Amino acid sequence: MKSILGLFLVLAILVIIPAAHFVFAAGDEPDGYLDRRVVIWNLFYRMMTVAFTVGAVVSGTMIWLCWRFRESHPKATPTPYEKEGVW
Amino acid sequence: MGHHSNWPEWIYIGVVIALMVWVGSEAWNAERLVEHIPADAEVIKVTGQQWFWSFEHEDGTKEIGELHVKVGKAYKFEITSKDVNHSFNIHDYVVLLDAVPGRINTVWFAPKEVGEHDIQCREYCGLIHYNMRGKLIIEEADTTS
Repeated sequence: MKSILGLFLVLAILVIIPAAHFVFAAGDEPDGYLDRRVVIWNLFYRMMTVAFTVGAVVSGTMIWLCWRFRESHPKATPTPYEKEGVW
Repeated sequence: MGHHSNWPEWIYIGVVIALMVWVGSEAWNAERLVEHIPADAEVIKVTGQQWFWSFEHEDGTKEIGELHVKVGKAYKFEITSKDVNHSFNIHDYVVLLDAVPGRINTVWFAPKEVGEHDIQCREYCGLIHYNMRGKLIIEEADTTS
């Protein structure tokens, strides 16, 4: 349990607190008129960067899992269930 | 079940929650910035009807199919419709809002450069929807006043 709390603490420090700070303490309104094109397209590009990064990590993990845990892998070992033949 | 580790699950949950918080806060902040209408924005009443746009400036000037604005000023569009649903779109300025009968929807923008841009209806509104277009004409700011 302590480790899980520790993990969430690390994540909070890394991501959640800066994000919350960014939202609630953003300098109120910028000088002059903001350009909605810039705000909207910047948001789009940031979101796309994150989406493609997450997509690459997830699909990379799945490809690696399929490759590493195939039956023909040199280091493949049966799971305890398979070894005992009992489920 | 055996005593296998739950760590991967917790890391996965943590990462997903952190990503969702980040995406939500970024989007919320962008929306907050974009929706904050400057106090000195000039109001332009925009009315959609089959199949053209009409505009009324604060001083009472009316235009049909063309909208003349000045560079460097902020404008607040009060958008409505006389018949069916339309959608007011200035693509180059990422202005897009529905025109709904009986409702006034507001959106604002501030033109940055002199030029001409297309205005287009983005909600299918009948036979000639495809040609329910207009022209946004951005002119030099008035230096005399």
